[in-house]
Amino acid sequence: MPIIQTENLTKIYGTGETAVVALDHINMAVEKGEFLAVMGPSGCGKSTLLHLVGGLDRPTEGRVLLDGRDLTALEDDNLAALRRRRIGFVFQFYNLIPVLTALENAALPLLLDGVRPAEAHRHAAEWLQRLGMGDRLHHRPDQLSGGQQQRVAIARALVAEPDLILADEPTGNLDSRAGDEIAALLRRISSEWGRTILLVTHDPRIAAHADRILFMKDGRIIDETRLAGTGEEQAQALRERMETL
Amino acid sequence: MSVRYALLGLLAQQPRHGYELRAAFEALVGGRDTWEVKPGQVYATLERLEEAGLIAEVGVEKEGGPEKRIYALTPAGREALQEWFHTGVVGDHHRDEFFVKLMVGLLVEGTDLHRLIQVQRNTLYQELHRFTRQRMEADSQTELAYVLFLDKVVMHLEADLRWLDMVEARLEEIQRQPTPQPEPKPRGRPRAKREA
Ligand SMILES: Nc1ncnc2c1ncn2[C@@H]1O[C@H](COP(=O)(O)OP(=O)(O)O)[C@@H](O)[C@H]1O
Ligand SMILES: [Mg+2]
Repeated sequence: MPIIQTENLTKIYGTGETAVVALDHINMAVEKGEFLAVMGPSGCGKSTLLHLVGGLDRPTEGRVLLDGRDLTALEDDNLAALRRRRIGFVFQFYNLIPVLTALENAALPLLLDGVRPAEAHRHAAEWLQRLGMGDRLHHRPDQLSGGQQQRVAIARALVAEPDLILADEPTGNLDSRAGDEIAALLRRISSEWGRTILLVTHDPRIAAHADRILFMKDGRIIDETRLAGTGEEQAQALRERMETL
Repeated sequence: MSVRYALLGLLAQQPRHGYELRAAFEALVGGRDTWEVKPGQVYATLERLEEAGLIAEVGVEKEGGPEKRIYALTPAGREALQEWFHTGVVGDHHRDEFFVKLMVGLLVEGTDLHRLIQVQRNTLYQELHRFTRQRMEADSQTELAYVLFLDKVVMHLEADLRWLDMVEARLEEIQRQPTPQPEPKPRGRPRAKREA
């Protein structure tokens, strides 16, 4: 079963003559463990799609299924709880809290969920270390480069161990070198730690890291291209490689 | 052309036999997956270089197997190599198969040009993915030259993708223009040139 599935997902902003159809009956699926990129011109509905898939907003029509469960049927409280446990968000402008250190920022979702501070900090430090930020735990955001701040934001997205990461233009505010590093990191988060990633970008270099690309235009998916085998094919290839060793 | 001069360069470094040259060439350009040369091509090239006086046989190695002829660079070969170093390389930008396909697609009634462009875009993205992975796996601490080569390939693919977007955005405009025709030739015998 796909981890995410949308059925006729539609979002219309406003009403009457000024209504904007941001999403127009989108049917798509994201497989477990897949790294999927969504590309398309500005205004084509990429962010709207990500927000609806992440339950940050509600559709005008259609459904979003997370592991087969209809998100759009959940009450706000239940939706928020599910989101905290299952989904991590990464945005273009990091959204870190300026007065908190890297460690405190990354630990925040656990603290908000009632985990004891010592435990939350230990877990946050683990993720920061994996993401190459082990020597910056006690720096505040203004003491970090853009790429480093985005790593902290990614650690924060992963700290509650969600299986789905939604990233909206995570490299949009970075120079190409830092952008490449963040893209490579997302690739590892998918390949090494098995997380499912849905990434919005308009940069071909960044999208090229993914397993598959969906192309959007005017609120619709107009094309897709597979860059690598499916998760099952990759697992099979890995098994075969292990056998030859 | 490149193989010929690469072999000269490898022989400038030290005398070698054909088998060794082949392996050294493939290692130099990033492995057999990047650029494979057949043994036949190496031996044929060596033969031609020897005939041209650019290399000379300096010995034979026989270790168990068949004899292997060892070659070294001659002074003329050294000169040819220097000349190559000091000559610029011009790429072949004109004979682009996709461009020809696009132009023929414009000629042939009923061609789905958007599909034609999409298929090409998919192919370029698959290439970009492949080289991006190789780029990630390469170690810039020990194989920086190869990493920079991969960067070049990635940058070219990016440019091709950008160009494809540009073509697609202006497709209707292109379709409204007449297809290029051969320049009309005057009938009959060419007239004698007028005196200046
Ligand atoms: N909150 C909103 N209110 C009204 N219109 C919106 C809102 N959010 C997005 N839109 C419109 O919906 C369309 C899709 O926007 P968006 O999903 O942000 O596109 P993208 O992320 O691809 O640039 C655009 O036309 C945008 O102006
Ligand atoms: Mg957006």
